[in-house]
Amino acid sequence: MEKLKYEKPVISKITAGVPNKFGLPTKQKIITDIDGIAVPELIENYGSPAFVFSEKTIRKTYNDAKRAFETRYPKVQFAWSYKTNYLNAVCSIFHDEGSWAEVVSGFEFEKALLNGVSGSNILFNGPDKSEKDLEMAIDNNACIHIDHFDELYLLIETTRKLNKKARVAIRVNMDTGIYPMWDRFGFNYENGEAWNAINRIMLAQDLDLIGLHTHIGTYIMTASAYGVAAVKLSNLMVAISRKFNHWIKYIDMGGGFASKNTLKGAYMPGSETCPSFDEYAEAISNSIISSEIPHEHLPVLFLETGRALIDDAGYLLTSVLANKRSTTGRRTIVIDAGVNMLFTTFWYNLGVFPSKEVSSHAEETTIYGPLCMNIDVIREAINFPQVNVGDQLVIERVGAYNVTQWMQFITYRPNIVLIDLDGKTHIIRKSDTMETFNNSELNPKR
Amino acid sequence: MIITEEIKISDNGFVFNSKTGDSFNLNPVGFELIKMIEAGKEFEEIRDSFLQKYDVDDLAFEKDFYEFCAMLKHHQITLQGDPLDFV
Repeated sequence: MEKLKYEKPVISKITAGVPNKFGLPTKQKIITDIDGIAVPELIENYGSPAFVFSEKTIRKTYNDAKRAFETRYPKVQFAWSYKTNYLNAVCSIFHDEGSWAEVVSGFEFEKALLNGVSGSNILFNGPDKSEKDLEMAIDNNACIHIDHFDELYLLIETTRKLNKKARVAIRVNMDTGIYPMWDRFGFNYENGEAWNAINRIMLAQDLDLIGLHTHIGTYIMTASAYGVAAVKLSNLMVAISRKFNHWIKYIDMGGGFASKNTLKGAYMPGSETCPSFDEYAEAISNSIISSEIPHEHLPVLFLETGRALIDDAGYLLTSVLANKRSTTGRRTIVIDAGVNMLFTTFWYNLGVFPSKEVSSHAEETTIYGPLCMNIDVIREAINFPQVNVGDQLVIERVGAYNVTQWMQFITYRPNIVLIDLDGKTHIIRKSDTMETFNNSELNPKR
Repeated sequence: MIITEEIKISDNGFVFNSKTGDSFNLNPVGFELIKMIEAGKEFEEIRDSFLQKYDVDDLAFEKDFYEFCAMLKHHQITLQGDPLDFV
């Protein structure tokens, strides 16, 4: 006699109170494959955990964003935000699509050059530019986005020393009606600091002011804030023209577009609430086009969005290590990927999904990582089906920041794999080995 | 293991604890298991019955059985024994 299919016995307490805002529970979403390659095959070949990036998704998302802006504004140029994900293979895809590079350190600048980006196609942001970094930027004819007066004077000094001209923009911070207002980077618009910086630059013989830059915040869920920012930069541009008879060449609206991840504490999922590229594009383009800037002097619109372009393309494959019950009876599971490689889990409720058909019974569950540290919590509360040790799970939308902000802790960082347009897999960053560490360590003889 | 007398179990897997006022749902396997426990059957007998009927190995079932029993105890469905009595 054929045996019946077994399901783990479950008893769950019925909790009366606030009804589920989404009504009856929907069917559990399952991610069986990434771009047609089965999750078990990927884990068998590259281990668990493993990051997987989809070239198809990267290119599609980039082209969606590009289309949204180019159908509304005549001159658009994207610059790939290196700090969001500076894996060479990922950067190369963005550069292949036509993106310039947006870097925030000498390290990233060198990486961009090594990725074949022309120095003049690098936007150099950030508050930390050493004299050596500035020399490299000047020598490569990059666009240096000045962050503060000390940097401005260091730059003047450096151009004098090198006897070369520098192409510059200033970063402007401003009140766009959102909270928190970012005022730690750049020069303030409202108190006249930005205007003072512009005046000083225009007096400097070796500085060529070619752009205005802003970056109003991160994960901005109000597209209209970008409209306000674009109006203010357009006003500055017109003011520069009136006083100095000089039209700057570009307005850089920075990044900060929200990805579809859900912020912790959010009532609705991010996929429902985040503005689309079209909404951001509409707000920005309308503001510039309807400003006083004459048509023939419309600036190139630069965009440095990172998170919204790469988050969806990244997955983390992981496996279940253990099922446990807490003292309160709460179900917990331990997986083999910790917060050290999932930095974004500190502010997102990341989507975690089984990779195969599971029991229909779901239960509120806490998902822990393997780090033997109390902070290692991937999800504090997620309605999750029963899973067994060894079951493989997929964490989605992890393409931004995780592989740049990750840290090595107690074990090796995993392989990172790219699935190309032909469905072939490539390791784009090898897992750490003991040599990775021993090669960098020195043990003084005693 | 003894189910307390305040517990009522309906035929469709609904459990009510008149002492605490809590109510619970069981999945079909959980329902079958609690009925066997209620009938006073011991672990070995329950295990053999399940292994014969379901596609499950003995260790997996044992793990699930004891986790289920821990939940029954947690929800005060079974009698609370002496915490130092491990057997």
